[in-house]
Amino acid sequence: MRIRNQVYGSFVREGRAPELAHVAAALGLDEEAVAGSYRRLHDAHALVLEPGELRIRMLNPFSVVETPYRVFCDGREWFGNCAWDALAILGALHTDGRVESTCPDCGERLQVEVVGGRVAGGDDPIFHVVVPARHWWDDIVFT
Amino acid sequence: MVFLRSEEHLQRWLDENGREPGETLTTAKLNELARRWYWTRLEPDWRPRPLEESQAILDEIGLTGEFWRLA
Repeated sequence: MRIRNQVYGSFVREGRAPELAHVAAALGLDEEAVAGSYRRLHDAHALVLEPGELRIRMLNPFSVVETPYRVFCDGREWFGNCAWDALAILGALHTDGRVESTCPDCGERLQVEVVGGRVAGGDDPIFHVVVPARHWWDDIVFT
Repeated sequence: MVFLRSEEHLQRWLDENGREPGETLTTAKLNELARRWYWTRLEPDWRPRPLEESQAILDEIGLTGEFWRLA
């Protein structure tokens, strides 16, 4: 979990996923040990790697890559992996903020404001999940 | 897992993409779920949660039924 904490801590501080070599150097480990840990964390759904690579795609609820789910809080900007994760970023950071996305049907902008931990304004969109819960991790990028 | 403007937009999106409908929540309910699910994620002693605990979160906020079963 030292490696997991180092990766998450670095991401929240810097706003981008650290290089594997930097994680290894920060913890005084060799890169092969960190690579093995990345794979175990991926298998435990504690982070998500790009297929067949050691590059991080998701630090749930954060997305390392840009997505249509933007989160604004405390003067910073993040990307959620999906609508659920976008609101979850505010929860994980224990803060209020704004989520911006677009309706995949009409392409119009949708906003959700969270104040005091509650939805307090915006466009009041609905949330839809197509994939049943037991299949969420079959293809987490699609989910 | 998407936000859509309304039920009308959802139905059109499902039809155009040939998808079967899943489950729809209000944004307020999703916010409740999202906060419960990820509240401790950045804590240093966080550990992957046993499936039973995740299921309990879904159950406690009323997301029951076959669709919401994790296994």
